[in-house]
Amino acid sequence: MKISFLLHNAYGIGGTITTTFNLAQALAERHDVEIVSVLRHREHPNFTLDPRVSLRPLVDLRQEKEHPLHLRPAKVFPRSEYRHGQYSELTDQRIGECLATIDADVVIGTRPGLNVHLALQAPRHVARVGQEHLTLDNHSPRLRGALRGAYRRLDALTTVTEADAAAYRRKMRLPGVRVEALPNSVPDPGLPAADGAAKVVVAAGRLVPVKRYDLLIESFAMVVAEHPDWQLRIYGKGEEHDRLRGLITELGLYNNVFLMGAVAPMEAEWVKGSIGAAASNFEPFGMTIVEAMRCGLPVVSTDCPHGPAEIIEDGVDGRLVPVGDRDAMGAALLELVRDDELRRRMGRAALKNARRFAPGPVVEQAERLLAEAVSARRAGRPVAQERARVHRVLVSKGFAARDTAITAAGNALRVVRRGQR
Amino acid sequence: MKGTEGTTVGTEPEARPRVGCAVDTDGRITFDVPSGSAEAGQLLLRLRPKKGQPEKTLHVLELEPTGDGGRRAVLDIRPVLAEGRWDVFLLQDPESRRLRLLPGPRDVRVLVDGHLRDRQSPLAVRIPYVTKDGHLAIRAWRRTAHAEAAGIEVTDRSMTVGARLHGASLREGAVVRLRRRGGDGAVHTFEARAGDDDRSFSFTVDYEKLTTGTSAGSGIWDAFVHPAPEASPIRMARLLDDVADRKAVFVYPTVTVSDALVHPYYTVDNDLSVKVTKAG
Repeated sequence: MKISFLLHNAYGIGGTITTTFNLAQALAERHDVEIVSVLRHREHPNFTLDPRVSLRPLVDLRQEKEHPLHLRPAKVFPRSEYRHGQYSELTDQRIGECLATIDADVVIGTRPGLNVHLALQAPRHVARVGQEHLTLDNHSPRLRGALRGAYRRLDALTTVTEADAAAYRRKMRLPGVRVEALPNSVPDPGLPAADGAAKVVVAAGRLVPVKRYDLLIESFAMVVAEHPDWQLRIYGKGEEHDRLRGLITELGLYNNVFLMGAVAPMEAEWVKGSIGAAASNFEPFGMTIVEAMRCGLPVVSTDCPHGPAEIIEDGVDGRLVPVGDRDAMGAALLELVRDDELRRRMGRAALKNARRFAPGPVVEQAERLLAEAVSARRAGRPVAQERARVHRVLVSKGFAARDTAITAAGNALRVVRRGQR
Repeated sequence: MKGTEGTTVGTEPEARPRVGCAVDTDGRITFDVPSGSAEAGQLLLRLRPKKGQPEKTLHVLELEPTGDGGRRAVLDIRPVLAEGRWDVFLLQDPESRRLRLLPGPRDVRVLVDGHLRDRQSPLAVRIPYVTKDGHLAIRAWRRTAHAEAAGIEVTDRSMTVGARLHGASLREGAVVRLRRRGGDGAVHTFEARAGDDDRSFSFTVDYEKLTTGTSAGSGIWDAFVHPAPEASPIRMARLLDDVADRKAVFVYPTVTVSDALVHPYYTVDNDLSVKVTKAG
């Protein structure tokens, strides 16, 4: 098969980029694979890309930032999408041209707005697979409305968790569209696993409020009080940096908690630690949890929607603690800090259990799904030939009506506010 | 299934191989050049010269084939590398151009608790790291003796630093001196309090000393320990872990004392200094 991925920006750092690169290079073993990057802002990607995977940028911001068309808001890319501000008439046009002339058998969109492009603009003969790396429940009603209209024209939609796939099946009516959970994969580590001896807890991700690094730092104060020779290393950059620095100072943790900056790839950093940590309020998947486990670290995570509970088996290969509960987080970390044997045992379990996220099994599933989408498209029939049960139709219609109502109410409110100005 | 006429545009100029490296507890570094990368016989380490200066110090390492088709070079404990940043190149043959290397997997985990191992004189430290522009390099320190700073406790008027000597031992009358960088030669002396053995000690800097009197004003104060009254000074620094560039990572609170902002920090060379900024 010839497979094209449509990606927001292959030159940045983030879970979607990592997982797309991983999947692309695994598929490149047996297929022709390219990544189309809508945006480009630097010469080389942060992550190395397998030379067998070609990379094709559409808009180079280093030259085209001031392009007249780039200064006008996008029309095809939905206005309700989070990244609408980074899209424009220029991206509308380039993505449209790219899809119109694409010689792939199947194109894979990697975010809602790009899935919409794919649904509306891919040629008839090209199979269309949308990927949801966030979650349906976290989208605004307006975005859900936009997706509900467009996604029917996809052949398949993948989510990263079973929980989100269930939400799509229940709340969106997508007749004929195969909805399936396809977890992110993490390649086999190139370094030996951590041995559990280092007195280092490692966390990684963008420094944004939803990741709750503030909670993690506060909970780590409990660890430092009892074990002052342990440190917490937080990798990543973002808007929370200065606030977190302030918190570290305020709590007097500057000898134990370190903001390490962004590092990619993280593997060499994970193996320096012996416990991974994630304190998010919300985690569509939890890529860093899998990365840490694949390096032999047990992970203490909040049991937030949706990813962590589908990755960690509480008490076996890590710990799940209630969302926003500083004391529970601190206690779970302390339990692993105090008990060397428990930490090592859970680390070994993490290494073993996380093998299900190795590219092998995940890629096999992706390959099967892509092949089915391609042959269904060629035969002119839907991939999913389920009979829509009356109940399901009614439920999803109910959700559609609710989103429409919320969106309309929002519009009305805006009109009222505008009137009051 | 793979098509034969794929539009492999290949935007990556991946001629430069990614070279993995691993450090052992003695500081020996093993470089692994993967199979399939450019033919090469040697690795070249070059001490990065100051801007506009010619390069002077080079080390060449032989690459030996490994079982899996790759090649391996070992930087042994000797030579002791001169202090500075060393760039790593692949030499395709003695006449040909150098290929600067990209970092592969770096296994430097043994460095993380390096401060727990006592060192002899001269102290040699090597940390493989990735440069800002994404290349593999090594940071090296070479010191006759070394004073490794550990925790720093900051109050609203002082800082207390715990430290450990390597390649020297503490005697009666040991002191820590903070010396103002630049011309005027101002120095303040603080007692070095002995710890559990003749290597560990601590000292407290009363910030008032740096902000009032004849030496008042903005400036940077570099910290040295004199392990005995007549002993030569040893620079206080923090070198014995895996952090090649510490300045932006190990950040200590700034406090206001007598109209001046004061904070300890690690310099670009990971040495310990105190910065005083007079308000206004």
